[in-house]
Amino acid sequence: MPALLMLALLMPGLAAAEPPGVGDHRGGTLHLSAVGSGGTLDPQVNYTSEYINLFATMYDGLTGFRKARGLAGDGIVADLAEALPEPQDGGRTYVFRLRDGIRFSDGRPVTVEDVAASMRRIFRVGSPTAGSFYGAIMGAKACLEHGAECRLEGVVADPSNRTVTFHLTEPDSEFLMKLAFTHASILPADTPDHDLGNDPAPATGPYRIVRYDPQGGIFAERNPYFHVWSQEAQPDGYVDRIEYRFGLTDEAAVTAIANGQVDFLYDPVPLDRLGELGSRYTAQTHIEPHLTVYFAPMNVHIPPFDNLKARQAVAYAINRHAMTILYGGPAIAGPLCSMVPPELPGRMTTCPYTRGASLENPAPEWKAPDLEKARALVRESGTAGQKVTVVVANRSVDKAMGNELRDTLRAIGYEAALRPLQPALMFSYIQNSANNVQISIKDWSSDFPSPSNFLDDLFGCENFHPGSSSSINIPGFCDAPTQALIDRAKTDVTLTDAARNDLWAQVDHCIAGLVPATPVIHKYDVVFVSKRLGNFFYTHNFGLFFSQVWVQ
Amino acid sequence: MLRMLAARLGQMVFVLFGISVLVFGVFFATPGADPTARIAGRGASPEVMARVRSAYGFDRPLPVQYARMMEKLFVSRDLTSFVDHGAPVVPEVMAAAPVTLSLVLWASLFWVVFSLAIGIVSAVLRDSWVDRFFMGIGLLGLSMPVFWLGEVVNLVTQSRFHDTWLFSWVPPLGYVPFSESPLGWARALLLPALTLSVAFIGLYARVLRAELLAAMGEDAIRTARAKGAGPARVWLWHGLRLSWLSYVSLFGMDFAQLVGGGALLTEVVFALPGVGRLTYQGLNTLDLPLIMATVMYAAVFVVLANAVIDGVYALLDPRIAEGRHGR
Repeated sequence: MPALLMLALLMPGLAAAEPPGVGDHRGGTLHLSAVGSGGTLDPQVNYTSEYINLFATMYDGLTGFRKARGLAGDGIVADLAEALPEPQDGGRTYVFRLRDGIRFSDGRPVTVEDVAASMRRIFRVGSPTAGSFYGAIMGAKACLEHGAECRLEGVVADPSNRTVTFHLTEPDSEFLMKLAFTHASILPADTPDHDLGNDPAPATGPYRIVRYDPQGGIFAERNPYFHVWSQEAQPDGYVDRIEYRFGLTDEAAVTAIANGQVDFLYDPVPLDRLGELGSRYTAQTHIEPHLTVYFAPMNVHIPPFDNLKARQAVAYAINRHAMTILYGGPAIAGPLCSMVPPELPGRMTTCPYTRGASLENPAPEWKAPDLEKARALVRESGTAGQKVTVVVANRSVDKAMGNELRDTLRAIGYEAALRPLQPALMFSYIQNSANNVQISIKDWSSDFPSPSNFLDDLFGCENFHPGSSSSINIPGFCDAPTQALIDRAKTDVTLTDAARNDLWAQVDHCIAGLVPATPVIHKYDVVFVSKRLGNFFYTHNFGLFFSQVWVQ
Repeated sequence: MLRMLAARLGQMVFVLFGISVLVFGVFFATPGADPTARIAGRGASPEVMARVRSAYGFDRPLPVQYARMMEKLFVSRDLTSFVDHGAPVVPEVMAAAPVTLSLVLWASLFWVVFSLAIGIVSAVLRDSWVDRFFMGIGLLGLSMPVFWLGEVVNLVTQSRFHDTWLFSWVPPLGYVPFSESPLGWARALLLPALTLSVAFIGLYARVLRAELLAAMGEDAIRTARAKGAGPARVWLWHGLRLSWLSYVSLFGMDFAQLVGGGALLTEVVFALPGVGRLTYQGLNTLDLPLIMATVMYAAVFVVLANAVIDGVYALLDPRIAEGRHGR
């Protein structure tokens, strides 16, 4: 227990931040480890944070996230573009001017044709976010349907002025953020229109992949053609080589880091090692905010959760303190009342479903479950005694949380059971309405730091596809007034940041009122690094930022 | 001879067909196993889903999908993973095979040497405290799950006592190819192979002891003794020859299933990129092509091993060969 207390002392933000060093820290090899590979090397296809965090040091878009610690890293800066353009035509047009003198790692210059071709390639290659992120570009609809013939009329390159103009069919207030996502990386125009698989594309950032074996690892070296054009968009790297090896279990990787054989582990640190890290390796252990929520989506189309009171009962009954303990304790997680994690603005800051509170009179924070109220709501809903199955991923933490929820459901009057599913298929299983999943527990992380990633992605009408395994609006929720607020927050480019955040907070409040899902906990990222790793540099979007740490 | 070969080949094809249909059927019968959404990526739009479904042929009838997969696995050999898009699985299995073979060769060396020694000593000194001690230890070895033993070995050699003189030589977990460094190869495999062999030493020593003791009651041994053979010749020559049939058949099957991927847990715990770990990874990510390739590979090995064992039987005990010829 003292060990856990020690860990608790390592509160977020307190990790010592060393000032950036100079040339004497340049060189060496950074050794990274992951249990398994993250799939394809195609930056426009891969959707795993394991590779996206690495790709952030290799590929660039027209825009990029600021490479800075903490909240500063949530900001958008111009990357391959000279400056961030002002939206024109009511947010339907953006004109970017490409920087001059930037080359790919094969020596060829980056041109405006490369930019236009890369945007087309998002559709030609079938990028997972082609529809959700870039569907507003003029011509995107035809490209989505017939990828091979994609022309994407909405992206116009003008080589004489080095400009690329984007025409959108409707305004998108987050378009610049979406262009900063790795799926909009700029690749050479002749990059094949199929998933690159194991073959790396030429890079623009400080590193390029020189060898890849999905069973062995990724080996990256310096990009000889890289020079710094914007310190905050793409800074130069310290280490000469990055070796990302696969195969060590999470337990073995923690031991290897302690032995100095590995510098960083991608996978979560196993819970049974947290105490040891807190007591023996305090200086090497960092706890950082992570834009992730655990939530319990409830299917609003089938009993018992087609009844609002039944859903409210769950929100009142769920023991968020117990869930926090099951996740690893208050040092690395906390009860959550909003669907948006606390690090982001644009969220409901009060707690409607806790003892002594209501939607009209919310408490400032979560206190305790209110089982009495929950039982009364279940009785009123007329759903008492119904059978409910909780679906979770078959992993120790998720299963423990599922057991807790099952017991809670039993305590408020349901005949509840738990169904743990293979982690690889659980997520697509709970999305498919044909599987009639009533309630589940799932974690969800943002692609970029915006409340939309939680509120629109998970509850937007456009994200519910009945009978499909790709339907991230898991509850099947669609409420016209809520959707109107979401649409305004997404499309009105005249709003100030504060006004937009206020809109998102209203959306959050609407969702809390209709409870298509109940938030459970938010979490922190426990990062364990080797003793020799210096200049610990953690960003919201890319976790440990590999180009900014040094090993000598 | 030709007929026998043809029969073996037919048997192999039949086994491979049965297993592949089973793996394929179980995969697609699993609720939520449709790989489209996982390949397309989180939150993929219906259009992207449709594209993936058609590109991978998931919109075709299952028998057609099965036939295409088998064609890609055995004929064109360009079957690619559903997870590591574009990674051909056949070369992956072939690259992993030497790792597993190295591990199993080392382990079998340990388990043959130790089990022979313990089995013979226990049989000769039957019912003495030495026999009871060895059999007790053997039972203990047999009862310890290999993944637990492996984790304990790692805890001791990689973590708690890693910096002591005793274990400072232990290399980081992982594999070193023989071509890169023979010494590194041996060092990397020593502890995993010993861990893997512990249960087999326990089992084989017990089997050998029992067989040896049973053989001692046979007429042939009495005759050997009557002809003046000394105890060493009786036990090691006549005794072993009479009792190693079951030992050899057991060895053949175990060796084959380990080479085929049965050392999965040892490979995972010691981070050895062998066929077992590949299977484990395939199962973890529900990567059907990888699962299919590793299962087929294992099946081929087990069927081949059966054939080899039958041949060795004939060599060890001419009566078996004669019986076959006499048919």
